[in-house]
Amino acid sequence: MNVKEQMVRRLNSHAVEVSLPSKLGYERIAMDCSASFAKMAGFAQDRIEDLKTAVAEACLNAIEHGNKGHPDTRVLVTMNFKDDRFSVCVKDNGKGIPRIPADKTVMRRIENLEPPKGLGTYLIKQLVDEVEFNNLTADGHTVKMVIKLTDKPLSLGKRQASGGTTN
Amino acid sequence: MEQPTEIALETIGDVALFDIKSDVTALSEPFLDDAYNKAVDQSAGKILFKFKEDVYINSGGIALLIQILAETKKNNQQAGITGLSDHFKKIFNMVGITKFAKIYDNVEAALGQMSGGD
Repeated sequence: MNVKEQMVRRLNSHAVEVSLPSKLGYERIAMDCSASFAKMAGFAQDRIEDLKTAVAEACLNAIEHGNKGHPDTRVLVTMNFKDDRFSVCVKDNGKGIPRIPADKTVMRRIENLEPPKGLGTYLIKQLVDEVEFNNLTADGHTVKMVIKLTDKPLSLGKRQASGGTTN
Repeated sequence: MEQPTEIALETIGDVALFDIKSDVTALSEPFLDDAYNKAVDQSAGKILFKFKEDVYINSGGIALLIQILAETKKNNQQAGITGLSDHFKKIFNMVGITKFAKIYDNVEAALGQMSGGD
């Protein structure tokens, strides 16, 4: 079993969990996993690309700001496909995002060619159908995102059973 | 896990071509800065960023590109971008980078139009 396989756990027929070390670069494992899962679920390539970027940005925030790169912490990414909705929860040990910059603030900084704080959350908001930041519990903070399937495919179970593939 | 950013700098006329052969993240800063400083030393009037089509660019990498574009504006240099996938063309449009650097279909088109002095 390689390192990547050790980080990914199947929860049930519609859900998997990825456990990442709080180290920059490991967000790519969650990106790849979400892309593979979304492809199995029948998502079009352009939506898969949107999902990959959103997952990457949520993981980067969790690694850098939530867990502050602490080596003893993990980022838990749970992916679930049900009823044409692909949901991703990214959980860290932090206390949430205190101030999410307004979209117009982010865009104004870019227009002035200044370093744009909040670019990651801005991209997530633009790319997914639903997002909730700052879901706080006793053991951490979770970002919840949903991308909806626009072209209705075969269900995940039927697709797996038939061995079919899609692009 | 994170690979160093590899940038080959080529000068074609007055265009400095940044051939970015790896992903672009916050960790790319010294590599991009180094390439840009060399282009300034060579008095390049135009900067063309060429990305590999399967490039991964995250918000940290976009922030770095915005910093470089701020420098190009300060130094009256024209900037262009090529090699991007449709997804990153969409992202660059979404964040407004395309107001400061035009996206071209390929290097040849970019060199043709940038050399034309538009």
